[in-house]
Amino acid sequence: MAHYLVKRSAQILLTLFVFLSLVFFIVNAQPGDVSSFYALNPDIPPETRERMQDLFGVNDPLWKQYLVHVRNTFTGNFGVSFSHYPRTVADIIRERLPRTLALFLTASVISFYLGFALGKIIAWRRGGWTEYTSTIGGVTLYTVFTPWFGLMMIWLFAFRAGWFPIGKFLDPVLWRDAPTDANAIFNRMILSAIVVSIAVFALFAVTAKRRMAHSRLIRIGGLALSALAVAAAWFATGTGYLAWDILKHMILPVATLTLISFAGTMLLTRNSMLETMREDYVMAARAKGLPEKDVRDRHVARNALLPIVTSFVFSLAFAVDGGVIIEQIFSWPGMGQTLVSAALTEDLPLAVGAFVFVGVFVLIAHLAADILYVYLDPRIRY
Amino acid sequence: MHYMTRAGAVRAVDGVTFSVERGQSLGLVGESGCGKSSIAISLLKILPDSARILSGSILLEGVDILPLSEDEMREYRWKRISMVFQAAMNSLDPVYRVGDQIIEALELHVGSAPSEAVERVRELYDLVGLNHSFIPRYPHEYSGGMKQRAIIAMALACEPAIIVADEPTTALDVIVQDRILREMRKVRDALDMSMIYISHDMAVIAEVSDVVGVMYAGRIVEFGETKDVFENPIHPYTRALMSAFPSVTGEKRELATLPGEPPNLLAPPSGCRFHPRCPYATEECRSQPPPTVRRGVHWADCWNPPEDQSP
Ligand SMILES: Nc1ncnc2c1ncn2[C@@H]1O[C@H](COP(=O)(O)OP(=O)(O)O)[C@@H](O)[C@H]1O
Ligand code: SF4
Ligand SMILES: [Mg+2]
Repeated sequence: MAHYLVKRSAQILLTLFVFLSLVFFIVNAQPGDVSSFYALNPDIPPETRERMQDLFGVNDPLWKQYLVHVRNTFTGNFGVSFSHYPRTVADIIRERLPRTLALFLTASVISFYLGFALGKIIAWRRGGWTEYTSTIGGVTLYTVFTPWFGLMMIWLFAFRAGWFPIGKFLDPVLWRDAPTDANAIFNRMILSAIVVSIAVFALFAVTAKRRMAHSRLIRIGGLALSALAVAAAWFATGTGYLAWDILKHMILPVATLTLISFAGTMLLTRNSMLETMREDYVMAARAKGLPEKDVRDRHVARNALLPIVTSFVFSLAFAVDGGVIIEQIFSWPGMGQTLVSAALTEDLPLAVGAFVFVGVFVLIAHLAADILYVYLDPRIRY
Repeated sequence: MHYMTRAGAVRAVDGVTFSVERGQSLGLVGESGCGKSSIAISLLKILPDSARILSGSILLEGVDILPLSEDEMREYRWKRISMVFQAAMNSLDPVYRVGDQIIEALELHVGSAPSEAVERVRELYDLVGLNHSFIPRYPHEYSGGMKQRAIIAMALACEPAIIVADEPTTALDVIVQDRILREMRKVRDALDMSMIYISHDMAVIAEVSDVVGVMYAGRIVEFGETKDVFENPIHPYTRALMSAFPSVTGEKRELATLPGEPPNLLAPPSGCRFHPRCPYATEECRSQPPPTVRRGVHWADCWNPPEDQSP
């Protein structure tokens, strides 16, 4: 296992390297350099411009610039943002990345769970009304034009119904004299989510291993209890209303992302289930006298999961696009929005930094999937 | 039992009657496509969606299992009647340890505590000649012969009254096949259970069964004690099958292959279903169903049986 991990990590690092090189050369293939921005500005004398070129190192040979670029990336030094001067790119990313991850991972987990559960049901009970509605509904949402759907969601649930805020990350009025700043609160929220996930995961592992009776009850109860405990802790510290404000702003974008993406997992699960159901070990499981639910969950779904996990990770890479659009529509100040505004304001350091981080995220997701796969499929040799 | 297909009903099992005594072993033999596996899955009622049992009865220790609900049926599966599948290679779930898959059945039916269940798996592995060190391994770590043994161990786990073995050794090479056959016979004698042994190979059937049913096109065409059927076969199909396979007991015979194929069961031939391939077919064979010829318990359905040669 350790050997396999080292091997995979090395491959990932190599891919990252190729990716960095690509980013570098694409950026350098653009005409001009950072200082061309000032070329037409009569207030900046040519000497200043030359001085600037020296400072930025754009007169150095390309290979030297490249080495500096790689070294800076690995040390997390992406320079200073132009449009957010004097904040560093690293600082901006440190603030924005968690927001995107929170949005993205929450939506991905819910969408995977929903898609898998529905796919399982519609494969098992072919031809029911569940199959009909969820297939039609899912495919419609999957193929719908994302910006239009996002705006519809806002119009329906924020504008007309008024249940949710119309966008943004928080309500500035509420935070005007808040005791803590938003980033600290948000980081604590992420920490809480991690605590709850670990608790639920542990419960899952224990109930699955022991094959306990009422395992579903224990899992749902555990989730409810740990969520309740965390919520209690929040309100005890008096910052609960602030967390709730951020949470309220998250619901609509997460729901939108979930709705446009669950159908992919659902249809894939359905096909994978139908294929697995023909396997001989499924008939054997039935012959053993196992209840239908056990045959479905323990044998069919468990084996059907393998190809789904792989394609889910690949779809994450594509979901990045969807994420950028969603962040724009909901004015969610995450990486997607940062990337777009950096591109629009020609904030080169920020654009490169954001771009590199999106790549790193996708690569890490791949590594995680590899590890998960080894755990899920005993046939994988490492 | 019929399969409802788009082209119509495939009458895979049609008017078949047989019984198996406690401790007895019944062999079902016939070419591929004659409905042997369809009988096997009917006995456990693990039919695919397209299959229907339209009429008849299946008595298991005096209880007709056909009208039983799924929940009631689950009580019978594996505990009273278990099965070794035709595709034994793929009957083990690849993502679970083999030992755990046996324990799954034990916990379900015998309700044994985990430690007892593990102990029972060890006993079973001894019985079928597998090393204990393989209990916690995954199916892909087993060889073909070992998988087959593990499947047999699994079928024996809950000490069923009857085991249905559908071509359990077909995919194995001859030496392994022989060893496993011997093993199965030993186990059956030791545990005094009944067995239905299905094969397309006359030689294998001759070795393992007390009574034999010869199947053709969804029907049993000849039935009797193994000795009678092999020494004095009545039905021309049985004789053809015997000459198509070398005998294991006696002199080597010519491998005369049987020309043609079993009929399409969407529309079986009229009269005797074997008539398109039968060298003795006459006019009445084509139009009328054949009568039953009886010689004691040994019988066959044929218009033109050979002279009785038994002393
Ligand atoms: N799922 C199915 N759907 C339709 N026809 C089937 C199905 N399974 C088997 N059959 C048909 O039923 C007949 C008997 O098949 P089977 O019981 O598998 O025979 P055997 O085990 O003797 O080879 C064959 O004609 C086969 O084509
Ligand atoms: S009934 Fe006629 S066709 Fe059928 S097996 Fe006997 S002789 Fe052949
Ligand atoms: Mg068969």
